[in-house]
Amino acid sequence: MAGPVIATSGLSKDYGSGRGLFGLDLEVQAGEVFGFLGPNGAGKSTTMRLLLDLIKPTSGSARVLGLDTGTDSLEIRRRVGFLPGDLALYPKLTGRVVLDYLAELRGGVDARARDSLVERFGADLDRPVHELSTGNRRKLGLIQAFMHDPEVLILDEPIAGLDPLVQETFHSLLAEVSARGRTVFLSSHTLSEVERVTHRLAILRQGRLVVVDALENLRRVAVQRLEIEFGEPVDAGEFRGLPGVTDVRADGQTVTVSFEGSADPVVKAAARHVVQAIRPREDDLEDIFLRYYRERPA
Amino acid sequence: MNWPTTRLTLRLRLLSTASAAAGLIAVMAAVGALFPAVGHTIGRINVPKSVLNLLGGGDYGTITGWFRSEIAAIYGPLVIGALAITGASAITAGEEEDGILGLVMAHPIRRSRLVASKAAGIGAVVLIIAFAMWLGLIVGVALGGGGISIGHMAALAVQLAFFGLATGAVAIALGAGTGRRSTATGVAAAVAVVGWLINSFAPLVSGIGWLKYISLFYYYAGSDPLTRGVDIVGLIVLGAVTAVLTAIAMAGIDRRDLRA
Repeated sequence: MAGPVIATSGLSKDYGSGRGLFGLDLEVQAGEVFGFLGPNGAGKSTTMRLLLDLIKPTSGSARVLGLDTGTDSLEIRRRVGFLPGDLALYPKLTGRVVLDYLAELRGGVDARARDSLVERFGADLDRPVHELSTGNRRKLGLIQAFMHDPEVLILDEPIAGLDPLVQETFHSLLAEVSARGRTVFLSSHTLSEVERVTHRLAILRQGRLVVVDALENLRRVAVQRLEIEFGEPVDAGEFRGLPGVTDVRADGQTVTVSFEGSADPVVKAAARHVVQAIRPREDDLEDIFLRYYRERPA
Repeated sequence: MNWPTTRLTLRLRLLSTASAAAGLIAVMAAVGALFPAVGHTIGRINVPKSVLNLLGGGDYGTITGWFRSEIAAIYGPLVIGALAITGASAITAGEEEDGILGLVMAHPIRRSRLVASKAAGIGAVVLIIAFAMWLGLIVGVALGGGGISIGHMAALAVQLAFFGLATGAVAIALGAGTGRRSTATGVAAAVAVVGWLINSFAPLVSGIGWLKYISLFYYYAGSDPLTRGVDIVGLIVLGAVTAVLTAIAMAGIDRRDLRA
């Protein structure tokens, strides 16, 4: 279709006390894998629920596939696959019965497509949902979201609770659907979870959109952290003056270095000592907000 | 209507419904079997009129009075009302609070249609229980020596079914309208109990006898179906209450935000 697949204009949902979503203007293009980042309570799930007409906006409007979310929600839901962040399924029923029911609500789905997803994710369809682990329940959630080959996928925290192997399967599936022109709108509260799969990112804070940019630009301003475990205590001062280093913290034999840009100076400085382990640390969205604004004032 | 939703609703409650149905039949068989031994003795005890009214008239000396008091007055409506209320609350507000409805309603089905289909599932549960009630009455009355026609027993089951449908519709309207399970269950139960008390006591108090007309219980048992058969007016009122409340539930859930 011509134009954005998802478009919001001043979309707001005010829950009072400063909670909710305020004046969201956003466009997601066809074939994009669009990451929607923000800390818990930033308004990510609220946005997704507004797009699916599960809740009504206080003001503003949204369109999905060119259709108004208020008046054409039935058609939107027909063409969208959704994974809720706090996925809940009928606990007494088996995965097979749950998927059968959800498929029937869509007027049926291609059994081969569903079976293929079940096989790829290694989902257990024969045990009651309440006996499944969180990760196995999330697999069912992903299968139901993908099984009708939707034009748009709205996935709320899709990676949470998945083990690394299943994450790999999920990432390859995203790449496949994106290559076929499907649009993916997915949320996360950490950059590292989505940076492998997204083309563009939006960052939301306290219900307001603060950044929409290509992944490369955001990654450039993101502060990286490496936790380096040495064979003996090391003077943290050795890292403080290195190019790009913004913060250094030492705790016994472990030094955590925050830096911008290339990791080369940090790694070369560390290599002068016996290194037991190097671990990347979670990115901090607050740092991204602050640095982004410092570099690109509005 | 959406048949998969109705079928799933019924499936989720099948075990509890089957257990309740089997229990009902067993209880009524036991009640009937007790009548020859204790019915006439209890019938001679002097009991205040207000208490007798609570027990459906309390004519324990006859098999009709015995079943009216033991089953029709409290036990029958209690079981069918409890199943209808808990079921209706669970499939609306319960699923919403659990977060299940959020996923289901992200599928291409109108909320009003979904609620109507779920209501139909609870309606089927009520009909199964009412049918079990009828079977239980047949067994119980036979064990008690007979004396009530199958038609009159069916009349009680039919009145009970409509009472269950109306009581469940109260819970569905509240559950769909508010999304709060405790509100749906609590208020619907209160409506049923207060209705029972009003129907029992209002006629005894000068000037407030008319209050019985606002009680669902009156339209269920007011005409004594075990003696007089089906009360068409009662069924029309209960059916209308069910239809109106279901329509309110469908409109209510369409207009509000899902809570979870």
